[in-house]
Amino acid sequence: MHSVVRPNAWVALKLPSGSTKVIQIAPNTTISLGKYGSFPSNLIIGRPYHLTFELQDKLPDENFSRLRAVPVDELYAEVFAEEAAAGCATPSASGASNAVISTTDGEEFSLVDDRGNVVARSNREILDENARQTLTQDEIEELKREGTNAGKDVIAKLLLSHTALDQKTSFSLAKYKLLKTKKYIRRFQVLPIDVENLAHWQLEERDASKIMDMRAEMIGLVGCWGNVHFGGDEVLLLEPQTSSAQGAEACVPVDRGLLKGRWLVVDDTCGLLVAAMAERMGILYDSEGTEPEVQTEELKRMATEQSLARSDDSEKPHTRTPTIKSSQKESDTEMTDEPLKRESDGNPKQQKPRPSDFAIPYSQTNTITVLHATSQPNLSLLNYWGFDITAPNHPPHPLLNHLLSLSWLQLLKPELDTAYSTPPSTATPETLALWKPSRRGNFHRKRRRYARIRHVVDSTRAGNFSGLVCASTMDPISILRHALPLLAGGAPVAVYSPSVESLAALADCFSVPRRTAWVSGAVPEIDGLSGEELERWPGNERFPLNPTLLQGVSIQTSRARRWQVLPGRTHPLMTERGGADGYVFTAWRAIPAEGKVAAKGKFKRRKVESEAATPAAA
Amino acid sequence: MTPTTRHGISPFLDPGPHTKANSLAILQLSRDNLLPVYLQPPTGEHDGYAEGAVVNTRYGSFPHSTMLNVQWGSQIRASKVDTGSRGRSLKRKREEGDDACREATGASEKDNDDSATAATGDSTPAVKQAVADTSGFIHVLPPTPELWTTSLPHRTQVVYTPDYSYILHRIRARPGSVLVEAGAGSGSFTHAAVRAVYNGYPAEGRRKGKVFSFEFHEQRYHKMRKELSDHGLDGLAHLTHRDVYDGGFLVDGNSPEADAVFLDLPAPWEALPLLSRRRPASLDMNGSATGSKQIKWVSPLNPNKSVYLCTFSPCIEQVTRTVSAMRRLGWVDIDMVEIANRKLHTSRERVGLNLNFDRGVNNSAHDVEEAITRLAEIESRFRDHAAKPGDGDEEMDSGDEAAGPSGQNSAATNGGTSAEATSGTPRWMEGRLITRGEPEIKTHTSYLVFAVLPREWTEEDEAAAAAKFPVGKEQKVIGAMDRAARKQERREQLHKQQQGGSNRKARRKERDEKMAEAAG
Repeated sequence: MHSVVRPNAWVALKLPSGSTKVIQIAPNTTISLGKYGSFPSNLIIGRPYHLTFELQDKLPDENFSRLRAVPVDELYAEVFAEEAAAGCATPSASGASNAVISTTDGEEFSLVDDRGNVVARSNREILDENARQTLTQDEIEELKREGTNAGKDVIAKLLLSHTALDQKTSFSLAKYKLLKTKKYIRRFQVLPIDVENLAHWQLEERDASKIMDMRAEMIGLVGCWGNVHFGGDEVLLLEPQTSSAQGAEACVPVDRGLLKGRWLVVDDTCGLLVAAMAERMGILYDSEGTEPEVQTEELKRMATEQSLARSDDSEKPHTRTPTIKSSQKESDTEMTDEPLKRESDGNPKQQKPRPSDFAIPYSQTNTITVLHATSQPNLSLLNYWGFDITAPNHPPHPLLNHLLSLSWLQLLKPELDTAYSTPPSTATPETLALWKPSRRGNFHRKRRRYARIRHVVDSTRAGNFSGLVCASTMDPISILRHALPLLAGGAPVAVYSPSVESLAALADCFSVPRRTAWVSGAVPEIDGLSGEELERWPGNERFPLNPTLLQGVSIQTSRARRWQVLPGRTHPLMTERGGADGYVFTAWRAIPAEGKVAAKGKFKRRKVESEAATPAAA
Repeated sequence: MTPTTRHGISPFLDPGPHTKANSLAILQLSRDNLLPVYLQPPTGEHDGYAEGAVVNTRYGSFPHSTMLNVQWGSQIRASKVDTGSRGRSLKRKREEGDDACREATGASEKDNDDSATAATGDSTPAVKQAVADTSGFIHVLPPTPELWTTSLPHRTQVVYTPDYSYILHRIRARPGSVLVEAGAGSGSFTHAAVRAVYNGYPAEGRRKGKVFSFEFHEQRYHKMRKELSDHGLDGLAHLTHRDVYDGGFLVDGNSPEADAVFLDLPAPWEALPLLSRRRPASLDMNGSATGSKQIKWVSPLNPNKSVYLCTFSPCIEQVTRTVSAMRRLGWVDIDMVEIANRKLHTSRERVGLNLNFDRGVNNSAHDVEEAITRLAEIESRFRDHAAKPGDGDEEMDSGDEAAGPSGQNSAATNGGTSAEATSGTPRWMEGRLITRGEPEIKTHTSYLVFAVLPREWTEEDEAAAAAKFPVGKEQKVIGAMDRAARKQERREQLHKQQQGGSNRKARRKERDEKMAEAAG
C-alpha cells in the first residue's frame, strides 16, 4: 500500500504555495499545475511517494517538461547555511542553490551569490513604506516565460533587484525570500491519498462543513475511544442450496454466534468517518495484503494493455474472484441484452452454476454498519479510495463485503420498508427459461436484493455491536435512544460534534442526580417494567434516555498547536484555522443490575446508620 | 496476578461477550477511578476471605465470584464480606505456622500466582456464596488501551490517549503495519499501537502487523514483558531490553522492516542515524555505534515504503536538535505540534432566590426582575415599618409580623411561575446546562515531531520506471485547465447532450462506463 504511485491512483500534489491538488493520475495524460507548469503523468507513475519533484526546462527537442527529484539537502540548503553560520550544528554540504540567505555573524542575514560574495547585507534601519522592486511586472512575466532553472533564476533576480534589500531586517529578508519562493519555484510533492491527507485537504482547502469540521485530532480520538480495530478474519456464510422456486423461507437465518467485531456508525461527514474506521479496520485500501510482485505485475499489465478496451478490463476481476461477482448487485445494464451477450462469448461464465440468489455476500466479522437518515447513505468521499456505493457491478474492493448500510426506517420499522417486507417472487426453472433475459435478470436481481436487505436488517437488529461511532447532524439523544440497545455490554460509544451544546445535553441525560433518581425507585413511570423494556425506554421529558445504560460519560476536546522549528526562530504558528473546535463524547454501554441498587458508599461514621437503614433501602 | 490463557485472543482485541476467569477486567469504581483486576476463579478461601478473592473499595467489597461469567459492562452490587475477623485470623495463622506459609508461597511461585493456589492446596473448594450488600456498586468493563492507560500502574511518564490517538493516526499505524517503539515506558502506547496494527496473530509465511518495542530500563522491561504476556499480546508485541542509542533497532540481527517509528527517548537525535536506509555518514566516521565497520549495514526500515516517524520530547531544546538531525538524515515533511486536550464537565448552574439550599445552588437573584422584586419588597417592608410609630420592642415584633406575609406574597407573586416550576421540575432539570473545564488540566505533555522518510530511489529504479511508463503519448490534460479549454469542453458536453437527448439507452451506457471508470 502506497509504495509507488500506481496508474489511476488518486494522489495529492502539494504545491509550493501550500495548496494541494487532488487528482487521479491517469496514464498518458498531461498534468497541469497552473502557473507552475505542466508535465506528463507517466513521469510520476511508478515513482515513490513523498519525493519532491522539480519541473525542468523543456529540452530543445521535446515539448514537455521532465522532472527531477530534488535531493533533500537541496530542500534544506538555507537552513543548513543558517546553522553553519550560527555554528550551532555540524557543517554539511549545502546544496547547489544559486543564492543563499545565511547568517554571517549571528544576527545579521545576508544574500550571497554562488561565488560566496556578499550581495546584500541586512542592518537594522527602518524600512521605507514602499520598499521597491525595480523589476516591472512585465519584466517579471518575461523572466517567468523564459522559466529557466525551475524558477530559481526569477527569485534570485527579484531579490537582487530589490532596492531596499540591504535595509531589511534578518527576519523580513527571510520572509521576503520565502514569499518569492512560494510564488515562483516550480516544485511539487506527491502525497498518497489516505484518511489523514484527504481530511486535511477537505478541511483546509475544500468544504470543511462537508466533513463537519472534523480535524485529525478528532478522527484519532473518535477512533480510539470507539475502540475501532481489526475485528477478525473474514467469515462468510455458507451459500444456501436454493432454487428459484423457493421464497423467503430459503433465506439464511442470522447466526448471532458468528457476528463479531462489528461497529455501528452514523456518518454525516460524506463518508470520512466511515473511511477513517475502515482504515483502522484494514478494509479501506484495495491493495491490502497484495505482494509487491503482484503489484508490479499488475502495473506491467496496465502499462502494456492500455490499448485494450475498457469492457475487457472491467470483466477481469469477475473471473478472478467469483465471490465478489455475486456480492454486488447485478448491474442495471443487465436489463439491456448487450452486456449479457458480451459475457457469454467473452468468458466461460455460463458454464459455472449461478450462485444462489440468497447467498449472503457480507462478512460476519470486521464490518461497519452505517445507519443513514436518507434512503441512500451519502458516502461520496469513499470514491477517492475507489469505492462507490451506488455503482452496480463494482470491481473488487474490501469494503464491498464489509460495509453494510441501512436506513433508520429499515432498522426501526422494517415492516414499512417495501424492499424488506415484500416477499421475493418465485418461479419454477421451466417458467424462468421461457422468459426474456432481461426479465430473468430482473427476477434474480430483486431476489438478491431482498436477501441482502433481509440479512443487513436482521443482523443489525440482532444487536451485540462492538461499538458505536457517530458524527451526525442529528440530535445525538435520538440516535442513542435507538442505538444503545444494539450495543454489547461494555461496548464503547464515541460521538463527535463540532460544537459542545448537543453533547452537553446528551451528557446531562446521564447526570448523577438523574441516575440517582432513576435507580432509587422514585420514578413512577418505570415501575414494573422489565429489563428488556427499560433497555428500550422510549424516553420522556424528565428522562430522555435510560440514564443507567451508559457508564463513564465524559466530554473532551483536543487541539494540535503547530510550531515553526527553525534555527533561532522557533515559535508557534501565528495563525491557524479557527472555526469549530470539535468535541467528543465518550462512554461505555452498561448492563444495569435488575431491581433497585443502593449506593451509600462505605464511610465509617455512617456505619451504624446504614445498618439501621438497610431494610428501607432493600 | 494470574496469566491469561495464552492461546486465546487478547481480551484487548476480542473480549468476548462475558468476563472470563484468569483474564484482565477493568473495574470502574467511579468515572475516573479505574482498577485493573485479573479475575480469579473461586477456588476456596483466599487470603482469609471465605468468598475467594475479593476486591475491597470504598463502595464495598466485591468477591471475584460475583464478577465472573457476567456480561461485560455489568453493574455489580457489593457483597457482605467479613473483613473484620479476617485480619485477626490471618495474624493468628502467621504466628502459628511460618513453615506452612513458606510452603504456600513456594507453590504459588510455581503457578505464578500469589496465594489462591495455596488455598486450593489445603482446603476443598467450598466457596461461600456472596450475599448482596447495599453499600454500593461498580461496573466491570472489558480492557481497552484507553481504560488501561487511565488505570495502569505508573512507572514512567505515560503517553495519554489524546497524544497517542493523534500520533497513531499521523504515523499511519494501520492493520498490517510494523511499528517500532523505543522507550516502552509504562506500556500505554504499546497497547494502543498493538491494537492499531493488529490484523490477526502471526501465522506461517504471512507478514502481520506487529509492534517491536525497546526498553532500556531492566526492571521496567521485566514488568512490561509480564504484562504483555498476561494480556495475551505475546505474538503481537516483541519487547527487547536494549539501549537503542548503541544497539540499534534490529531484532536478532534482522530488520523489523518498520513502516512507522515512535521514539519516546531523551535524545532522539542519537537514535535517528540508526533509522537510516543506508549506513549513515556519522557512523562511518566514528564506527563506534555498530561496533565494527565490517558488519553489513541492515536498515531497520521497510525498503519499499515511505516511513513515518514521531518523536515525543518534553523540551524545546530536544526538538531543535531532533529536527536538525532529521533534516540532515533526509527526513521530509517535518512538522512539530503539541496537543492540548481538555475534559469538560457538564453541570446545572442553578441561580435563583427561590431555589432550595442544596449544595451548588447560588441563592442570589437570577435576573434583574427577580432582584427588583426582592428590593421592592424590602423597600415596602421598610416603608411600612417606618410609617408605624412605636418603641424598640414593638418594632421587632411588627417587623417579624410584616416579614411573614410579605414573604409569602413574594413567593406567590414573583415566584408564581418559579414556585410552580420548583414543584414541577425535578432538581436535575433546574437551571441552565453548562460545561466547564476539569479543575486541573495538563497544559503540556510533550512536543510531537513528525517526519517522513521517502523510500530510496536510485538511477536504476528511475530508469526502470521510465521504461515501464514511457512518455510522449499524452492525449489530454488533467488538473488545472485554462479557461478557454474548460469552456471548450463544456461546449462539447452540451452539444453532445442535445444530440443524444432522445437516446436514453445510450446515455445510461455512457453513465455506467463513467462510473466504472471512476471506480476502476
